[in-house]
Amino acid sequence: MISVVTSRRAGQRVGRDGFLEVLHAEWTKFRTVRGRLIGMVVAAMLLLLFAVLTGVSSHQKGAPPVPIGPGSEPVTDSFYFVHQPVSDNGSITVSVSALKSSIPKGPGDLRPGLVPWAKAGLIIKQSTRQGSPYAAIMVTGAHGVRMQDAYVNDTAGPPGLVSGESPRRLRLDRSGDMITGYASADGAHWTKVGTARVSGLGPTPQIGVFVASPPALDGMGTAGSVSTAVFADLRVQGGRADGRWTGDQVGPRSPTFAGYPDGTSGSVTGSDGRLTVTGAGDIAPAVRETLPTGGTLREILTGTFAALIAVIVVGALFITAEYRTKMIRLTLAANPRRSRVLVAKATVLWAVTFAAGLVGAVLAAPLGERLARSNGVHLFPVSSLTELRVVCGTAALLATAAVLALSVGAIVRHSAGAVTTVLVAIVLPYILTALPFMPASAANWLARVTPGAAFAVQQTLVDYDQVASHYTPYNGYYPLAPWAGFAVLAAYAVVCLAAAAVLLDRRDA
Amino acid sequence: MLRRTVGMSSLRTAGAPGIVVAGLRKRYGTALALDGMSFTVRPGVVTGLVGPNGAGKSTTMRVILGLDAVDEGTALIGGKPYRGLRHPLKHVGSLLDAAALHAGRSGRDHLLWLAHSQGLDARRVEQVIEQVGLTPAARRKAGGYSLGMRQRLGIAAALLGDPPIIMLDEPFNGMDPDGIVWMRGFLRSLAAQGRAVLVSSHLMSEVQDTADHLVVVGRGKAIADAGVADLIAAVSGDRVTVRTAAGAHAMRVLVRAGATVAATGRDTITVSGWPADRIATLLSQNAVPFSEVSAHRASLEDVYLELTREAVEFRAATHTEVSR
Amino acid sequence: MKRALHAEWTKMRTVAGPLWLLLGTVAATVSLSAVAASLANCTATGCGGDTAKLALVGVYLGQAPVAILGVLVIGGEYGSGMIRTTLAAMPRRTTVLTAKAVALTGSVAVGGTVAVLGAVLAGRLVLPDAGDRALSLSDGPTLRAVFGTVLYLILIGLLSLGVAAAVRDSATGIGVVLGLLYVVPIVSQTISDPGWRRLLEKMAPMTSGLAVQATTDLGSLPIGPWAGLGVTAGWAIATLLVGGLLLRTRDA
Repeated sequence: MISVVTSRRAGQRVGRDGFLEVLHAEWTKFRTVRGRLIGMVVAAMLLLLFAVLTGVSSHQKGAPPVPIGPGSEPVTDSFYFVHQPVSDNGSITVSVSALKSSIPKGPGDLRPGLVPWAKAGLIIKQSTRQGSPYAAIMVTGAHGVRMQDAYVNDTAGPPGLVSGESPRRLRLDRSGDMITGYASADGAHWTKVGTARVSGLGPTPQIGVFVASPPALDGMGTAGSVSTAVFADLRVQGGRADGRWTGDQVGPRSPTFAGYPDGTSGSVTGSDGRLTVTGAGDIAPAVRETLPTGGTLREILTGTFAALIAVIVVGALFITAEYRTKMIRLTLAANPRRSRVLVAKATVLWAVTFAAGLVGAVLAAPLGERLARSNGVHLFPVSSLTELRVVCGTAALLATAAVLALSVGAIVRHSAGAVTTVLVAIVLPYILTALPFMPASAANWLARVTPGAAFAVQQTLVDYDQVASHYTPYNGYYPLAPWAGFAVLAAYAVVCLAAAAVLLDRRDA
Repeated sequence: MLRRTVGMSSLRTAGAPGIVVAGLRKRYGTALALDGMSFTVRPGVVTGLVGPNGAGKSTTMRVILGLDAVDEGTALIGGKPYRGLRHPLKHVGSLLDAAALHAGRSGRDHLLWLAHSQGLDARRVEQVIEQVGLTPAARRKAGGYSLGMRQRLGIAAALLGDPPIIMLDEPFNGMDPDGIVWMRGFLRSLAAQGRAVLVSSHLMSEVQDTADHLVVVGRGKAIADAGVADLIAAVSGDRVTVRTAAGAHAMRVLVRAGATVAATGRDTITVSGWPADRIATLLSQNAVPFSEVSAHRASLEDVYLELTREAVEFRAATHTEVSR
Repeated sequence: MKRALHAEWTKMRTVAGPLWLLLGTVAATVSLSAVAASLANCTATGCGGDTAKLALVGVYLGQAPVAILGVLVIGGEYGSGMIRTTLAAMPRRTTVLTAKAVALTGSVAVGGTVAVLGAVLAGRLVLPDAGDRALSLSDGPTLRAVFGTVLYLILIGLLSLGVAAAVRDSATGIGVVLGLLYVVPIVSQTISDPGWRRLLEKMAPMTSGLAVQATTDLGSLPIGPWAGLGVTAGWAIATLLVGGLLLRTRDA
């Protein structure tokens, strides 16, 4: 009897289920092998090293400044503008009877083509300075009438294409800061498309017609385009204007504007309210492809890939080394509830890797950003909340990948096999998405279903419906939301850990 | 047990002087692993390399095999450094770590690649497998072998080149009693064939019935290098134990005759400096009853403890105090 | 040397691992190539890119088992301690490493040839229109791409062997090799300076070596096909030299 009581007391003394003791034992095992600690330090250092490398290897000093919109985001603000200053309230109307686009197929070989977001219409804009506030109503190549303002806002109007038989009439009314856009098929019945409050228009904003023609998607890349629109019945009512129209290219040299295709240029011809205007460029938020020299936080943290290798090696060895030395038998003899050993290992590994990753990312992100900015690189802006998400997400990604490696290591009981499996599963999808013939659908599929989906946690770029671009993982746009992508990796880790626990229980040690 | 094999006689007549280790010195960081290790292993004799763990036995063997480099000194096989041998397994057969196998390769295939590395063929492999009694398990994966089977496989590998020198590191480790008996007989038969046999152990009892010659190692050097009989004599001195109920009477008689006597038990006394037969004669002449007169023999265990007392590196502090 | 080679070849064929890894290379190469070919937007005139490169894309994955094989050829012996047996039997360490390299080369050459020809065949089956023209072995550039890819796989195996000989641990070795292969091209993408980027792509063992697969638009490559494979060969030689030097100087 006494012995029974004693053993129960002893059981109580080590905690209700003794998990903390297992955890403590695994932590002691982890920290007493120097190579593992070195691996963790190396992971943190790699994050830092690559941030510095990315920061110093980019040189954009002397390049024209990136235009910044009212929301402090980089924008494309390059287009052909036929304008005059107009003060006071009033309205402007025009009829658009044609919008035709051309895409170069080779040097000097310009072919007619469809540019879905080619734009022609009316705009009221503070000045011809890039990034200044505006509101505009326009017909587009394939998306009907749109009313846009502040670069990021986009409202759909009546659909349909314009032609000589069915011209589209557009109107902008100004009342103080309030700009209202209308569209009409006949000039008698007007449909209100939208209203925008545009602050900062100033006493004499520029008003007039514009043509923009963004790059068209061409395979894996983009090709510059140029568009020509025919306007008629251009009238300004109310307001004080001097009546003289001037044609100008807004933002001819800009990091967000690739310029006109060879042999073309912006122009305006005609008179008496009938104008033929040719233009290129766009009035829109900048995306990765339109601002190729821009930097992102993801690129600064590119060392994540290198750090992954270090933590995956450490994670796999944390269990496979025990199999190799047969120490696993001692471990399991000390803790016969085997799945608990595995969970304790995973917990210790996750926590240590997260801490190392966090230290690395917390130091790397601001340092890399500072270095890149001092070299004149424009970084796509991120809120401090987003930066926190990226930094914590990077640490969590590393930690979860290490646990996945531990689980695979427990399943295959072979270090090289485990390291390769996990590394290939996480890193190879990313490389495959960058191949020129990999269609976006395949790339996005890979970024949804493979453990590599977790890199979504590092994305800081926003995709816009009104900007045609390759929103692919390669360009920094992931099909899944940040934490949803992370959840894919976490699901792999949890499933593998569960499978490893079952196998550990069933197999002889 | 051991079948005589072709080529043996020619190797024996080569008259190779075995292994000559001279002045090995090796430092790992601050720790001195070998500190002037010197000894010789002769043909036809089983030489035991004994000493506590960490004394430098395994390091010496790795140096002899050209695996580890030394800072000073030489280890020569028949006058040549190991790394200069053309087919080393035909000169020295060795077993360092019986567990050093690929778990997925069968015992036979393990021997096969070794044979191929020496230009030998599969027939020789079958011979050594039979010689060590591993035939039933030879085609199974080595990962499933017991410790004893791994030892036998390691011995087979050492015999593969039919070498004049055999070197085994802790061959008795993990062997069952049957295996230990087999191993002793086997080592003796190897020496009887004229081979030089070097066997290391940290337990004297394992080699005392096997070895003819002992090299006792401590702190990286040989602290004794002698035949087993000489070593025992050196430690025992010539003491004789007398068992008698009339202890006081016996002591008086012996002291009167000039012997040095000490009472060592309730009914035993120890006599130094006199041979046993002379003591027996003296006691009989003086009508002292006795039940036993025997020459005292120190065991090898005593020799070992005596010699390594100073050389043990990791002895607990309290233990040291007690023993001094 | 002949005997060392015989011994290493016996080692290679008497365990199941190498065969499985080579089968893994074949399976990974063929299946990834087939999937990529079926996903690509191909017309009778082509696939909007390099058809041969598309059909051979499987080596991105297929090289991973080859790397494991290369690492395990020596890393596995360090893991079990058998390296001492090997070096006791063959004290000339350079000879041992050379024998391992030759045995590895032979195995990977066989497995790699099967894998690469399988990928081409899969490409022709999946892309009957574009494939027949572009994936003919009688076409000079295609033949060079196929042959060069087999050589590339061999060089990756040798690179892995050299790394493993230097680090003496399978897991670390495979980490270093896959890092060299996969991480450098990713990092190079983040470097905005085009000169630096091209330099890095010229230097990295994978991006330079796989230039041998290009059959169209050779002028736009950072490095020519054979020159690129030469860079990979340089990596393999360099790591083997370092590994061999360390093997000679260190205690086993």
